[in-house]
Amino acid sequence: MSGLFNSNFGTLPAALDAASTRNTIIAQNIANAETPGYKRKEVDFEHYLQQAMGEGDDLELKKTEERHFQKYSSNIQDVQARVRTVSDTRITNDGNNVDIDQQEALMAANTIRYQTLSRLMSLTIARYNTVLKGVR
Amino acid sequence: MLDIFSTMNISASGMTAQRMRLDVIADNIANAETTRTPEGGPYRRKNVVFQEVLDKAMGIRGGVNNTLSTDQLGGVHVQSIVEDQRPFKMVYDPSHPDANEEGYVQMPNVNVLREMIDLINAQRSYEANVSSINATKAFASAALGIGRG
Repeated sequence: MSGLFNSNFGTLPAALDAASTRNTIIAQNIANAETPGYKRKEVDFEHYLQQAMGEGDDLELKKTEERHFQKYSSNIQDVQARVRTVSDTRITNDGNNVDIDQQEALMAANTIRYQTLSRLMSLTIARYNTVLKGVR
Repeated sequence: MLDIFSTMNISASGMTAQRMRLDVIADNIANAETTRTPEGGPYRRKNVVFQEVLDKAMGIRGGVNNTLSTDQLGGVHVQSIVEDQRPFKMVYDPSHPDANEEGYVQMPNVNVLREMIDLINAQRSYEANVSSINATKAFASAALGIGRG
């Protein structure tokens, strides 16, 4: 976004998308809480956003091979939530590692986060409305 | 919005799977003392096998990080209903019409106590999926509220 609109119009939708993705992932985890061998999925977003905002370390990763980990886009608008599978743990004998209480707590927190973000989005829009009405 | 409905479908698939499990548990409890079945012999305890639903056709993006797209997620389904192969209980009851020469009757390998525990488990899992749906509804109404001030 350029000029008129500040970066909130870029980051808020990205954060809303991330919260929505996380909701889907938690729903999948809860639905599979008793599936033998199912491994919990998690969403990473805040970490990448912080990196893009330059709040992480500024060191570049050295790559000797194309498929090595890389630092992700430094453009805030391009930051996207990434889903990963936590496959190295297990909490029940059937190899499942979903802690349903933890997932419920995450889902509650994530809902509040989404509501906060959507409120912020509304306020950002309202601010522009105030300015535009003042001009007329 | 599509994302919200697909999330609801995931939770709904969880509810369907748990309901099926409840059906199977009810069947087990109802037949806890059934000594005659169409296949012959006493009733065998049944159990559901859950399997995660993933749309493999969508492919897995990002290789190294094992990054999945949420479009691929389809919740859970009951892959099969299997019979418990544990031996039948032998109960001494010479007056029973299905008793053998020594007076023992083969009773189903159903442990009602265990079924009750599974029942509670299924019920709680069902409720967890219901609360996921409610959370998703809260998402939808929050999203619809954007820009309303």
